[in-house]
Amino acid sequence: MPPSFVSIDESCDEAGILGNLMNTKTMLVNETEDLPGDFAIWIFILAEMLVFGVMFIVYAFARSNQIEVFNESQLTLSRAMGTLNTIILITSSYFVVRAVSAIKSGNSRQSAHWLLGTIFLGGMFVAVKLWEFNEKFSAGITLETNDFYMFYLTLTFFHLMHVLMGMIILACIVYKLKNGDYSAKEHFGVETGASFWHMVDLLWIILFPLIYIIR
Amino acid sequence: MNKQLNRFATIIWLALVILTIGTFLIGEEVTAGKTVMLSVLLISLIKGQLIANYFMGLRHVSWLWRGIILGYFVIVGGMIAIAYLN
Amino acid sequence: MQYQSQAVAKPYFIAAIALFVGQIIFGLIMGLQYVMGDFLFPEIPFNVARMVHTNLLIVWLLFGFMGATYYLIPEESETELFSPKLAIITFWVFLAAGVATVLGYLLVPYASLAKFTGNDLLATMGREFLEQPLPTKVGIVVVVLSFIFNVVMTMLKGRKTAISLVLVLGLVGLAVFFLFSFYNPHNLVKDKYYWWWVVHLWVEGVWELILGAILAFVLIKVTGVDREVVEKWLYVIITMTLITGIIGTGHHYYWIGAPAYWQVWGSVFSALEPIPFFMLTIFAFNMVNKRRREHPNKAATLWALGTGVMAFLGAGVWGFMHTLAPVNYYTHGTQLTAAHGHMAFYGAYAMVVLTIISYAMPILRGRAANSNKAQVVEMWSFWLMTVAMVFITLFLTAAGVLQTWLQRISTTPMSFMATQDSVAIFYWMREVSGVVFLIGLIVYITSFFIKGETKAS
Repeated sequence: MPPSFVSIDESCDEAGILGNLMNTKTMLVNETEDLPGDFAIWIFILAEMLVFGVMFIVYAFARSNQIEVFNESQLTLSRAMGTLNTIILITSSYFVVRAVSAIKSGNSRQSAHWLLGTIFLGGMFVAVKLWEFNEKFSAGITLETNDFYMFYLTLTFFHLMHVLMGMIILACIVYKLKNGDYSAKEHFGVETGASFWHMVDLLWIILFPLIYIIR
Repeated sequence: MNKQLNRFATIIWLALVILTIGTFLIGEEVTAGKTVMLSVLLISLIKGQLIANYFMGLRHVSWLWRGIILGYFVIVGGMIAIAYLN
Repeated sequence: MQYQSQAVAKPYFIAAIALFVGQIIFGLIMGLQYVMGDFLFPEIPFNVARMVHTNLLIVWLLFGFMGATYYLIPEESETELFSPKLAIITFWVFLAAGVATVLGYLLVPYASLAKFTGNDLLATMGREFLEQPLPTKVGIVVVVLSFIFNVVMTMLKGRKTAISLVLVLGLVGLAVFFLFSFYNPHNLVKDKYYWWWVVHLWVEGVWELILGAILAFVLIKVTGVDREVVEKWLYVIITMTLITGIIGTGHHYYWIGAPAYWQVWGSVFSALEPIPFFMLTIFAFNMVNKRRREHPNKAATLWALGTGVMAFLGAGVWGFMHTLAPVNYYTHGTQLTAAHGHMAFYGAYAMVVLTIISYAMPILRGRAANSNKAQVVEMWSFWLMTVAMVFITLFLTAAGVLQTWLQRISTTPMSFMATQDSVAIFYWMREVSGVVFLIGLIVYITSFFIKGETKAS
């Protein structure tokens, strides 16, 4: 026998497995059923959550070494603006839910309208964020001012990038909706984009209290 | 059927907004402390569950995925709490 | 072979293996110099041996990548290569430049080499891995550009697949980031800062795209799994690679004068770099488990699975070990780095090139797979080289841990040289493993000459 761990198991070639292969949702042996949207976006979502999760934990532990610096700097943030942005994001997520619901009943015009609303809210979020950044930058604050501002700028900037990316994804979906590419039966793409947008919201749900509120 | 679902989503949205305002008020009104920290984290966990299960639609999906999201909030929130209690 | 022009891959593969042999011989020379400092002195001083060892590695991998691309692109694009003649010309140019450069290292003192080759016009020499004289660097750029031109022109006239797109993206990235080897600021911090744009963004960025594409190609061929499934995996893997790898550059920026926030950015992002490698492993095993045909080339499948596992161990696990800033504070630049470097380069890049050679070479020689006898020998070489590399890594890791302790953590820290003496036993054991590796490589080469009943193509 050649030294090899490629053992040949004939039973692998049964038609059942081959049939399943056509379906990309069965990329893993553990089959998950009916995940909204593409399986790949869920792997992506998990990866993103992991990156942010690690960042959140690192923030918390970095803070425990210099609580005063963090508390003092944190109080310079506008909690009202943070709250406003939270409500904007939650509402935009709600709009996405409505958009998915609309396309599920075959109403692609309505679906596109809800998504346009989402993109508009995303724009508002960006505007508020830029106002905040402008406040901080004009006060001469940079990544190197102290550790709190480093984390604040890093986390919110990375998150902002995701909001922008989500807006681009949703804009593509609106374009396809207007082209009539989606229907009550075929709306995989809408669900995929929706899942991404919800993730952006989900991350902010932790980011907001962590950076703005808890001290 | 759909109308009912939409109304349900609206209720979830309202709950999320109320919880957010709750978080804001805690931040504004109450002096900082362990209870505040823990309650704000708990609110986050609830909000996360609402979004994952009802907005993302994970409640229809295998328990594994719901478990992952719940586990994520518990672990990340838990680690944050540990760091703050230190 | 489906397309005549795929044959240009053959000289590239042969050159790659020949240079691989050179790399291992110089590795053994330096390995011995670790414990017998004056071995071969003054003919081949340690710094020269090291330069030859690392430069040959990069050059043979580039030969392997180019060969792989010339083999893969016509088949993916379903058309003949744009210009097989250009591919052959660039092969000889590249080989001549490579050999001349190595001879230059060996025969001329490095400082004189720098003077002869116009380093005072544009100073680019003297930096680790980028020691090549200016004409060689320019030559590499010309060769790579004509190579990319050839490949892109081929793709434009044929089918465009995810695999070829990812591959070309990786190759273009390889070319673009190499340009930073011409930028050599006087400020030492900036120098290192941009140096990593070549080194890190190559091996922990764009090369991973090349790796993913080649592996995906071979897996489609040997397993017959649906292209759609493979492509989806490929997209997810490269996305993860880029998310983690680009900002992960920061793990090289600790305490070199770069801003302190890199400690956090670098730690967090690079800590996640194992994920795409882990997914690569799962991907390889999943595809093989779900295979829809029994390809006669078992050796190629073995190499493909081996690449997944060893890349994850070497690049993923051994990289993670010392990537966090608080850990790296103690382990920076110790033998742990060498351990990681050896297993990562072998597991990810050497093995993927050997995978495509193992798959393509029999076909280039007019058969679907080698004889069973030849494959058994090739599989023996797989195990010899891989196990030897695992031991090299383990011994270097032991040396690194001990070194970190004696020199940096202990309450009575020892000097660098005294520490080196006390870890010498591990260097000896590493050298023995290195000899086993060379034996594995010789067995590998013999497998090409073993006859026997072959399977028709």
